[in-house]
Amino acid sequence: MLLPLLGSENSERVLIFLLKREEGYAREIAPFFEASLYAIQKQLDKFEQGGILVSRKVGRTRLYMFNPRYPFLIELKALLEKAYSFYPEEVREDLEMNRRRPRKKDKPL
Amino acid sequence: MKEIADMTEMELSAYVQSHLRKQGIEVVLSGGGAVTIYSENRYISKGLDLVNIYAVNRRKIRAAMNELGFQEDGRYFRHPETELFIEFPAGPLAIGGEAISNIVEKEVRTGILRIISPTDCVKDRLAAYYHWGDQQCLVQAEYVAQAQEIDLQEVERWSEREGMLIKFQNIKERLG
Repeated sequence: MLLPLLGSENSERVLIFLLKREEGYAREIAPFFEASLYAIQKQLDKFEQGGILVSRKVGRTRLYMFNPRYPFLIELKALLEKAYSFYPEEVREDLEMNRRRPRKKDKPL
Repeated sequence: MKEIADMTEMELSAYVQSHLRKQGIEVVLSGGGAVTIYSENRYISKGLDLVNIYAVNRRKIRAAMNELGFQEDGRYFRHPETELFIEFPAGPLAIGGEAISNIVEKEVRTGILRIISPTDCVKDRLAAYYHWGDQQCLVQAEYVAQAQEIDLQEVERWSEREGMLIKFQNIKERLG
């Protein structure tokens, strides 16, 4: 939706993913969109350097989220929300209907 | 002119800023480096954040820094004669949702330093405390407030706009 503006499909994917999931890591985002891991990592790094995202390490994973101090955050999220409303329903469902509640270790499905 | 090896955070910042300014690159000292200066060295940061306020191309910054003997090392620039390192965070110059327009200028021996105000420095540290619960940043805000005159009413107004009035009220006495 925002390709002409963002210049890259993966840029938009990263931002939309984090908009809906609030946080995420490259090995989670890349397979969701069937994108290359390197391409997603590159976008995450670009947005972090630009101050739009921040990250923290959780174990060996680098977890990314929006930077609450980014001055255009409200406006950016509004734009992304608008773009997201045009996404196909199945993509929106997949993004939003992920498990968030805790899961005990070794619990059978 | 002082050797780079002997320059303080303030002197090195002014030196780099003055060189960049001649090339049309405006940067403003913020972050931990500003805390070091305003806290009168109660907090020491080796990293100097020179915010690239008008989004000048990185290549142009790199070329100017190379002229001073700095080499790019990932997102930082380092010089063989000093432990201090420089980063150019992306602009705009803002704290939370608000732009910073009150930039302080100080003339030092190595050039003109452009730095955020002590009040904005406190807000900058509090932003990290408000959003991430970073206690170290709260302590840094205290150091700055103790060493400099700051406008607490302005900090309160800004905190309210950030939706953080209750958190501000809880720590207000530590800044007074």
